[in-house]
Amino acid sequence: MSKLSAYIVGALRLPLRGGGFFSVLMTLVLTGASIANASDGDQSKEITEQAGVIMDFKPHPPGSYKLYAIKPAPDGKVLDINGKTRALSEFTGGKVTLLSFIYSSCADPAGCPYAYLVFHNLQSRLQALPALKGKVRLVSVSFDPEHDTPEVLKLYAGDNAHGNHDVQWDFLTTASLRDLVPILDAYGQDVYVGVDPVTLKPINAKSHVLKVFLIDPNHVIREIYTASYLGPDVVYNDILTLLMEEGIKLP
Amino acid sequence: MPKCNNRFSLKALAAAVSATVALGVTTLPATTYADETCNSPFTPLIKGQEDVVYVWTLGVEGVGDGSDKLVTVDVRPGSKTYGKVINYLSVGGRGEAHHTGFTDDRRYLWAGALDSNKIFVFDIHTNPAKPTLVKTITDFAEKTGYVGPHTFYALPGRMMVQALSNTKDHGGVTGIAIYNNEGALISKHDMPTTKIGGVMGDGYGYDLGINPQKNVLLTSSFTGWNNYMMDLGKMVKDPDAMKHFGKTMAIWDLKTMEPKKIFDVPGAPLEIRWSLKKGDNWAVTATALTSKLYVIKQDKQGEWQSYDVGTIGNPADVPLPVDISMTANGKGLWVNTMMEGMTRFYDFSNPMKPKEVYSKKIGSQVNMVSQSFDGKRVYFTTSLLGNWDKKGKDDEQFLKMYNWNGKKLTLGFSIDFYKEKLGRAHHMKFQALDLSKLQPLAAGSQNLDSLKLALTEPKGK
Repeated sequence: MSKLSAYIVGALRLPLRGGGFFSVLMTLVLTGASIANASDGDQSKEITEQAGVIMDFKPHPPGSYKLYAIKPAPDGKVLDINGKTRALSEFTGGKVTLLSFIYSSCADPAGCPYAYLVFHNLQSRLQALPALKGKVRLVSVSFDPEHDTPEVLKLYAGDNAHGNHDVQWDFLTTASLRDLVPILDAYGQDVYVGVDPVTLKPINAKSHVLKVFLIDPNHVIREIYTASYLGPDVVYNDILTLLMEEGIKLP
Repeated sequence: MPKCNNRFSLKALAAAVSATVALGVTTLPATTYADETCNSPFTPLIKGQEDVVYVWTLGVEGVGDGSDKLVTVDVRPGSKTYGKVINYLSVGGRGEAHHTGFTDDRRYLWAGALDSNKIFVFDIHTNPAKPTLVKTITDFAEKTGYVGPHTFYALPGRMMVQALSNTKDHGGVTGIAIYNNEGALISKHDMPTTKIGGVMGDGYGYDLGINPQKNVLLTSSFTGWNNYMMDLGKMVKDPDAMKHFGKTMAIWDLKTMEPKKIFDVPGAPLEIRWSLKKGDNWAVTATALTSKLYVIKQDKQGEWQSYDVGTIGNPADVPLPVDISMTANGKGLWVNTMMEGMTRFYDFSNPMKPKEVYSKKIGSQVNMVSQSFDGKRVYFTTSLLGNWDKKGKDDEQFLKMYNWNGKKLTLGFSIDFYKEKLGRAHHMKFQALDLSKLQPLAAGSQNLDSLKLALTEPKGK
C-alpha cells in the first residue's frame, strides 16, 4: 500500500471506528506524512478505490464531448464563514463551479469525506495550471445549519478561509432550515435524519446520496455526479471542457 | 497553505476534522436505502423488507373505472392489510400503461403509456402509501419524434427514457430522450442505424441499463407501435409484421452517449440486467422470439462481446420469454415465459453456462418478475400488452407474491386484478414507508417553521 493509500484509508475509514479517526489523522499530519509520488491518474484511482468506488475506464479528453444544460443552478440565501448573509448565486456564476452539499460530521466513506478528498485533489491539480487562476471555484454547502455554524465551517475550511487560493474553495451554511430546505429541494439533494430505532430520538447522522454539481459561468448545471461516477479525473476533464467552451486555452 | 504541487495537503483536512473534535461531534455511518435488483445504479435501494408494491395497471373497458391506474399494495408482513390493495390512483383514460422508473432520489415515479405517449410523474415520498400525480408530460412525441416511452432509468438529476417507435412511420426506429427531474427535455439520442463494429444497427430500442463502473450504457431492441398495438394473433400471421422486430443490442459510451459497438442478437432482445456484483463486467438479456439467453461481457482484451449462453424452454414452442430478474449477487436469474405462464430459475454462477435449476407455473400467463434485494420474495404480474395478453379464461390478471427459500416458491398472497376491478397488472416497483420515519427535508412541507420539530421527532410519533 502506498503512502497515499495509507493516508486515504485513514481519512475515509477511521470515522467508522469513532474518535480514533481524528487522533490518527492528526498523528499523520504532525509526523509529516508525505504523499507518494503518484501521478494524477494514479491518485484519482486510489481515491475512488479507497472509497469503494470502481471506475474502470479512461475518461475522455477535455473538449471531446458535450456536457448538456441540465437546469439552472437554483439560488438561495446562505451564510459565508464570516456569518454574512449572501446569495448562493454569488457562488454559482462567473466561474466554472463545483458545488456539493456536506455536513462536517459525516462519516460515510462514500459521502462527504469522499467529496472532500475529490475537491482537494481537484484544487491542487487546477492550481498547478496558472492559466486557470480565478476561473474555477469550489463550493461546499452544509446541510446541517444547527451544527455547522459559520465558525465551525471556518475551521473546516482551514487555509481556504483566507481566500488566497488560485482556485477558491468556499464553505457556506445557512441561518436556518427555512433557508436551507428550499435550496436542497431545488438542487434535488435528498437528506434524511437518522432516528435511533430504540429511543426514536434523532441521531446526528444524516442519510444522503452524495451529489456534486458542475455549474458553468452562466449559472447552468452541466453535470451531476454521485459517488458511483465521482472520480477526480472525470470531474477534472469536465471542468476543463467547460473552460474550453469559454475560450480558455489550456497549456 | 503551501502549494500542493498536485499532492494532497493534509493540513486543510486536519483543520476541518479538528473542528469536529473540538465540538465533540460523534460520527456514525450514514444510513443508506437499498432495494430490488433492476433499478438504476443511481437510485437508492431497499435492501430490507419492502413496505408497498406499486403496480402500473392497464385500464380495461368495463372493468372498474376502465382507466390506467397506479395500484398500491401493502406487503408488510403482519399488517392488517397485508397482501391487499390499499390505494389506487387512476390517471384518466387508457393509453397502454407499461413501465415505470424511480427518479434518482426515489421520491418520484415516472410511468409511461405506449399508445398515448403520456408520461405520468407520481409523488411517492410525501405519503408512499398514497401516491399523487404531480405532473403529466404530454408532448413527448411532439418534442422528440419518438413514440412509446418505455423504459425509465435514472441518471443523477435526470431521467433517461427509452422509446419504442417514432412519429414518422410508427415502426421500430426510435431513440432515447433525457429529461431533467423537473420534466424538461435535455437531449435526444437516436438509436444507431449505421454499421458499428461490423454489425448494422436496426435503430430499434427497448430496454437500457447502465454500468457506471465501465462508463457504458447497454440497449436492446423490440418493435414499433405498428406491432405492439396490433392484436398478437393477427400479427403472428402477418409475415411482413414479423420482419419488424429488433435483432441487435448496442453498447454506448455513457459519457458521450455515442454507440461504441452493435451486437447481432436476433429475436428481439428485451430486458437488460447488469450483474450488481462489484467488479462484474457482464449483463444478460433474453430474446422473446428465439427464446435465448445472451450475455454481453468484456473479453480478456476488454472488448465487449455478445455470447449465446443457452435456451429457455423449447424455442420451437415459442414460449415467449419476457421479464427477467437477476439476484443481487449475480448468481441467479428468474426468467418468465408469457405463453407458458412459467417462471424458471437459472444458476448463473457461471454466466457463460447458466443452468436451469427450478421451474414453476405461475398462471395461464405471466410477464413481469421482481424480487426483493435479498431474493427472498418474488413478485409476478401478468400483462404484457393490452392486445397481446391471452383471451378468455386464460386472460388471468394478478399480482402474486411468493417466498423463495432457494429451492422452491411458496405462495404468500395473490390478488386477482379483475376481481378487484383494477385491470391488467403490469410493471411493479417497491417502496419503503421508512421515508416517513426518516423525515425528509422537503420544501413541499406546508409549514417550514415546523421543520425543526420534524427533525427532532419522527413523523407519527
